[in-house]
Amino acid sequence: MAVDITLLFRASVKTVKTRNKALGVAVGGGVDGSRDELFRRSPRPKGDFSSRAREVISHIGKLRDFLLEHRKDYINAYSHIVSDYGRMTDTERDQIDQDAQIFMRTCSEAIQQLRTEAHKEIHSQQVKEHRTAVLDFIEDYLKRVCKLYSEQRAIRVKRVVDKKRLSKLEPEPKTKTRESTSEKVSQNPSKDSEEKPTTEEYPEKISAEAQPELGTWGEGKGEDELSPEEIQMFEQENQRLIGEMNSLFDEVRQIEGKVVEISRLQEIFTEKVLQQEAEIDSIHQLVVGATENIKEGNEDIREAIKNNAGFRVWILFFLVMCSFSLLFLDWYDS
Amino acid sequence: MASAAASIRERQTVALKRMLNFNVPHVKNSTGEPVWKVLIYDRFGQDIISPLLSVKELRDMGITLHLLLHSDRDPIPDVPAVYFVMPTEENIDRMCQDLRNQLYESYYLNFISAISRSKLEDIANAALAASAVTQVAKVFDQYLNFITLEDDMFVLCNQNKELVSYRAINRPDITDTEMETVMDTIVDSLFCFFVTLGAVPIIRCSRGTAAEMVAVKLDKKLRENLRDARNSLFTGDTLGAGQFSFQRPLLVLVDRNIDLATPLHHTWTYQALVHDVLDFHLNRVNLEESSGVETSPAGARPKRKNKKSYDLTPVDKFWQKHKGSPFPEVAESVQQELESYRAQEDEVKRLKSIMGLEGEDEGAISMLSDNTAKLTSAVSSLPELLEKKRLIDLHTNVATAVLEHIKTRKLDVYFEYEEKIMSKTTLDKSLLDIISDPDAGTPEDKMRLFLIYYISTQQAPSEADLEQYKKALTDAGCNLNPLQYIKQWKAFTKMASAPANYGNTTTKPMGLLSRVMNTGSQFVMEGVKNLVLKQQNLPVTRILDNLMEMKSNPETDDYRYFDPKMLRGNDSSVPRNKNPFQEAIVFVVGGGNYIEYQNLVDYIKGKQGKHILYGCSELFNATQFIKQLSQLGQK
Repeated sequence: MAVDITLLFRASVKTVKTRNKALGVAVGGGVDGSRDELFRRSPRPKGDFSSRAREVISHIGKLRDFLLEHRKDYINAYSHIVSDYGRMTDTERDQIDQDAQIFMRTCSEAIQQLRTEAHKEIHSQQVKEHRTAVLDFIEDYLKRVCKLYSEQRAIRVKRVVDKKRLSKLEPEPKTKTRESTSEKVSQNPSKDSEEKPTTEEYPEKISAEAQPELGTWGEGKGEDELSPEEIQMFEQENQRLIGEMNSLFDEVRQIEGKVVEISRLQEIFTEKVLQQEAEIDSIHQLVVGATENIKEGNEDIREAIKNNAGFRVWILFFLVMCSFSLLFLDWYDS
Repeated sequence: MASAAASIRERQTVALKRMLNFNVPHVKNSTGEPVWKVLIYDRFGQDIISPLLSVKELRDMGITLHLLLHSDRDPIPDVPAVYFVMPTEENIDRMCQDLRNQLYESYYLNFISAISRSKLEDIANAALAASAVTQVAKVFDQYLNFITLEDDMFVLCNQNKELVSYRAINRPDITDTEMETVMDTIVDSLFCFFVTLGAVPIIRCSRGTAAEMVAVKLDKKLRENLRDARNSLFTGDTLGAGQFSFQRPLLVLVDRNIDLATPLHHTWTYQALVHDVLDFHLNRVNLEESSGVETSPAGARPKRKNKKSYDLTPVDKFWQKHKGSPFPEVAESVQQELESYRAQEDEVKRLKSIMGLEGEDEGAISMLSDNTAKLTSAVSSLPELLEKKRLIDLHTNVATAVLEHIKTRKLDVYFEYEEKIMSKTTLDKSLLDIISDPDAGTPEDKMRLFLIYYISTQQAPSEADLEQYKKALTDAGCNLNPLQYIKQWKAFTKMASAPANYGNTTTKPMGLLSRVMNTGSQFVMEGVKNLVLKQQNLPVTRILDNLMEMKSNPETDDYRYFDPKMLRGNDSSVPRNKNPFQEAIVFVVGGGNYIEYQNLVDYIKGKQGKHILYGCSELFNATQFIKQLSQLGQK
């Protein structure tokens, strides 16, 4: 539909060149012109702003590539059935998370810096607008890449929650839960801090559970000394403790799910609140300005009233003087 | 596969986006690096872009600044600049100046219509002088010299409307060269339109009119382009679907002179009313709202008028649904939308109270899960709700403004009366009564009514009657110049053919006790008749119907037939194609308006699988048309 006439343009450039040469017109063109062009290109100041902007963009690009590269491993390595070739340990994942966060922080700092510097030297309105828009684009890019990262993390957290839910469906909750608790103990340090208080419970419970076990084993040696009633009592106690643990697990799992959702909502809310903050600041400024103006207005009105009153007094005085002088003249004359 | 005539708006938008992406097809990539550029356009470019792309969409494409060509622009280093201009002398001069001043890093030049060789050499000259040849990265002819307003409606131009207006074409003192220029402009735009559409139409036009001249020229231009195998614009991969459809569209070129009553007609559908009564331009409506007068004891403060402008876009679902509905329906629908919005708002508010209660209840953890899900969905649906509210506000304001006008000018009375005149049913009130009625409408309305009467009567009223009418009109304050012109026109067309008849139609006034009143709506339409439109076919629609369905009709039988794809250039009056057409493009030379557009849309709604595009050389409402007629009548 659209026709590319760039070649036509280049051809006309050649025609014009030859025509000018034929006419002997001295133009900046010709052989010297091309060299001039080259010279003019290199020492032209590349513009501090745009080169730094491009640097930031390349950084963010590197982060994105890094995340995408390891993404498959990060996510896929959850199935235990998969061979350990492509598997990532949790420490590696944590490392990736940390690196990514540091990177993102430095990038956003660089953007902030650019923003403050961008408006310093330049006086032209258009260039300012352009630079603001460019910085907006870069921030948007950063946000998009950050989304990649947060998606990955969300998937990871979700998987852990799902795994716990699955482990609940095992017929032998006792042994399986113990395995899963031991795993959870190792994984818990990498979770959100809200779960810290719950993790403290686990070691206690495990030790508490281990105690009666040890107790039974210990006493198993001297089983003849234990009456069958005591064995039964201990077994009942075991069952009770297991029941308690299970219910606690249920609750904790649910709470985790809710917490994830709530964190998501929090994100949205903080975004909105930050937006509103800027607006409220500006409204505050406006209101302060308005009160100042009103104060000044009041002052002016007071002045005006005073002047008005003073003016009236003078007029009255003048009229009275005039009438007195008239009376005086009249009396004088007659 | 979409047919070739479907959505000219999409095609033009795609072409524009491609141009903005440095003429590489645009691919949405969520993790792509940002590329930034500056857009420079002239007034033509601005008119073309503004109905199609909003500022936000321009931002999404990476445009940081958009500036007019002829404004003061500062040098912005390291930024590519995309130009979208018409290849006129002054634009070229300004571009050369930019090249000399080294404003930007690289230049992507896009011309709205084809640029001539000599002008291209001018640019080359300037580029050489500024040693900037390598900076000119790409030069393109975009062939986008028309403005798309709706999915299936386009206008030729807005900036130089004067050049191709009805008045310019029908002036008695027009010279041949001027006529040539006007025709060339129109043909150029039509050509660009067909290039963008990607199809070569079959052209039919009436004899002896300006439309015929346009048809001849367009046929010639299309033919030349098709013959030129090297540069033909109609072959190649860029065609897309158009290449594979066996059906070619039908282009019907009509002249404004076959139907002068429709532009003067008072209307009753939403979009046409907005265009008639308010300031509606390129899908943007400008409202003046006057805030209340506060008279302080010190003296009256002048009324402050707030100007507001709204964009009526395809994203606006309410507008799309109700553009063509009669006005009372629109009022009702706005009420309904408002009620449903309030219901949704209450839902969201109710959640708040639920949350407050349950949060303290310890044993309700399972309920909590439900509520977080509800809360998430409520929060995510908030932006939608806000958008809905904005649209409702917009339409409430617009509809209220329109209603104001209707009430003060009694437009419903005029509408009903004109419908009766145009359908030649008996009139219950004499024309003279309405004209001398002092509080029914502005003088312009009365003039319109009288002109419609004059145009559609079979025999001219007697001299005495005419004098009476004239006197009544001048008493009401009208200017009689348009009447002069219409007299001449009528005499002229009588020779050609019988005046068009408008089919029969009736308007049923529904009682004042309609639902609108009972729901206590804001739109208190008391005293305004709730008229219901019945389907009628305007002359243009009838001609289209005949031509599309290959019906035989004395009106359209002797229309000329052009087929640019045929090898021999002879035009026979016998159409070679005997099948009815699936797609048609109606183009009115001399100006069109929304009433005809709406009529065509209604007509095609009844037919399955057929598409119509409507175009005109300029879009005017009745006020502007009367102005042109009075200028013509002055000569």
